[in-house]
Amino acid sequence: MYSITTNNLTYRFNGKETVLSDINLQVPTGSIYGFLGPNGAGKTTTLRLLLGLLKKQDGEINIFNLPFEKNRIDILRKTGSLIESPSLYAHLSAKENLAILQKVYQCKPSRIEEVLKIVGLENTGKKSTGKFSLGMKQRLSIAIALMHEPELLILDEPTNGLDPNGIIEMRELLKQLNKDLGMTILVSSHLLAEIEKMVTHVGIINKGKLIFQGTMGELHEAQHQQSFMCFETGNVEKSKEVLKTNGIQFQQEGIQLHMPVLERELIASINKQLVEQDIKVYQISIVKNDLESIFIDLVK
Amino acid sequence: MQLINSIKSEWLKTRKSAASWLCLIGGLFIPLIFLIGFLYNGETLSTYGEVENVWTAHFFQVWQSMVVFLLPMGLILATSLITQMEFRNNTWKQLHTTPQPYYVIFWAKFIVIIGMTLQFFFYFNLGFLLSGIIPSLIVDKQLPDATFPYSQFFTSNWKIFVTCLPVLALQFLISLRFKNFLVPIGVGLMLLVATLILVGNWEHVYLSPFSYSPLTMMGTPETMKDINIYNWSCYYFITFMVISYLMYIRKAEKG
Repeated sequence: MYSITTNNLTYRFNGKETVLSDINLQVPTGSIYGFLGPNGAGKTTTLRLLLGLLKKQDGEINIFNLPFEKNRIDILRKTGSLIESPSLYAHLSAKENLAILQKVYQCKPSRIEEVLKIVGLENTGKKSTGKFSLGMKQRLSIAIALMHEPELLILDEPTNGLDPNGIIEMRELLKQLNKDLGMTILVSSHLLAEIEKMVTHVGIINKGKLIFQGTMGELHEAQHQQSFMCFETGNVEKSKEVLKTNGIQFQQEGIQLHMPVLERELIASINKQLVEQDIKVYQISIVKNDLESIFIDLVK
Repeated sequence: MQLINSIKSEWLKTRKSAASWLCLIGGLFIPLIFLIGFLYNGETLSTYGEVENVWTAHFFQVWQSMVVFLLPMGLILATSLITQMEFRNNTWKQLHTTPQPYYVIFWAKFIVIIGMTLQFFFYFNLGFLLSGIIPSLIVDKQLPDATFPYSQFFTSNWKIFVTCLPVLALQFLISLRFKNFLVPIGVGLMLLVATLILVGNWEHVYLSPFSYSPLTMMGTPETMKDINIYNWSCYYFITFMVISYLMYIRKAEKG
């Protein structure tokens, strides 16, 4: 069951420059889906298309299993969003900004206090939002997105401009919303490290193409597949002979020998053989590529 | 119902805004000048001398100072300020992701501009009445003797309001189209100044949508005797609104 699916979504600026090419997003209901990609990869364009802020050119967009164009109002009634920088009326206070949305969504007035409490802005009083810090503006934008208790939250780089503490708070808030209210969250970022601790699913976009999509488990699997072993000894040539004798394929990288990850017993056996041949063993290690390196490899 | 909710929401945005202050100050400015003038000189409406009705004389005197330049100028500024509020605060994208049909967003915004104009008329007329009543109460210790010309008062207000519509619609159109605040203000002021130069010098000045408010008070010259400026106001108003609406609906990028 998916909250968002797109089929071959393609978008060209001025009808020429292709910004998105055949994007097939699948955001499972109840997931926190991290939409990753470097700056200019097409994340914001995709999210703006999903919300109807850009006119769709090619492909299909289905949200809650309904075609977006024909069901725009019904879909937006159940969707909260934050696209790029905060959208706030600078001359009004936090409460007044929320009151504007309260009138549109026709939710109960007490909801204003509720959402302000959720984002920790209940004590801002009559201070106009123009005088808020970027972090406060970002949190108020989240409050606006939560005003009508949406089923789906679409957030474009919500941690932009936040300090490390703010990033942690935002992460905890999104996890809490997902866990307690079962909210599906699609969150974009250009930093994997920023969202890897929070998301259940991930989609990686680069140069307008979706190059990976799956669960975090699948991404970890890819990480495992890219791990390798490293032997560093006092005699490279003799060590190569030992490895050949054991039928192990390897590559020489300077004074190190790299090979796929071996069984525990085989590692011990090779170590014993090296020592018996008077070869000094300085290092036997498993080198794991972190997710960030995988992300960088994918978007290269 | 959705339109009413949307209008309420749009009206909230004008609270404490520059446009609402402009409306209040602009509406009371000229009447206040007259009031101060009367009080400073110890005069009342009787200053107008041998006229048919001192209220009528005062009404035209106060409005005349207003309609030629300050009223169109105020309309240009207020319409641009309200419409451009979304560009200035980067809020078009927020507005367009609310569950409202585009036509509701469009009309709610324009109705609020009309509402602000009516509010301006209210402040102005209140100021006009007080600028007549207060000096009489202070100097003569009584209300002015003359009968208040209700019918003429409402008819003239209505006519002036109709002449405001093309200016409102044109400024709305430009403000929706251009992100830069200076464009609607610049275009509006340029057209207004050009019109004011041409009024009285060009027989076809009625072609300018900015000419109708001044012509209401200055009177249409003999060369324009067949021209109904109120009909022209309505034609322009409808044309500009249709263009605005089509342009807004067809905009590929909505924030």
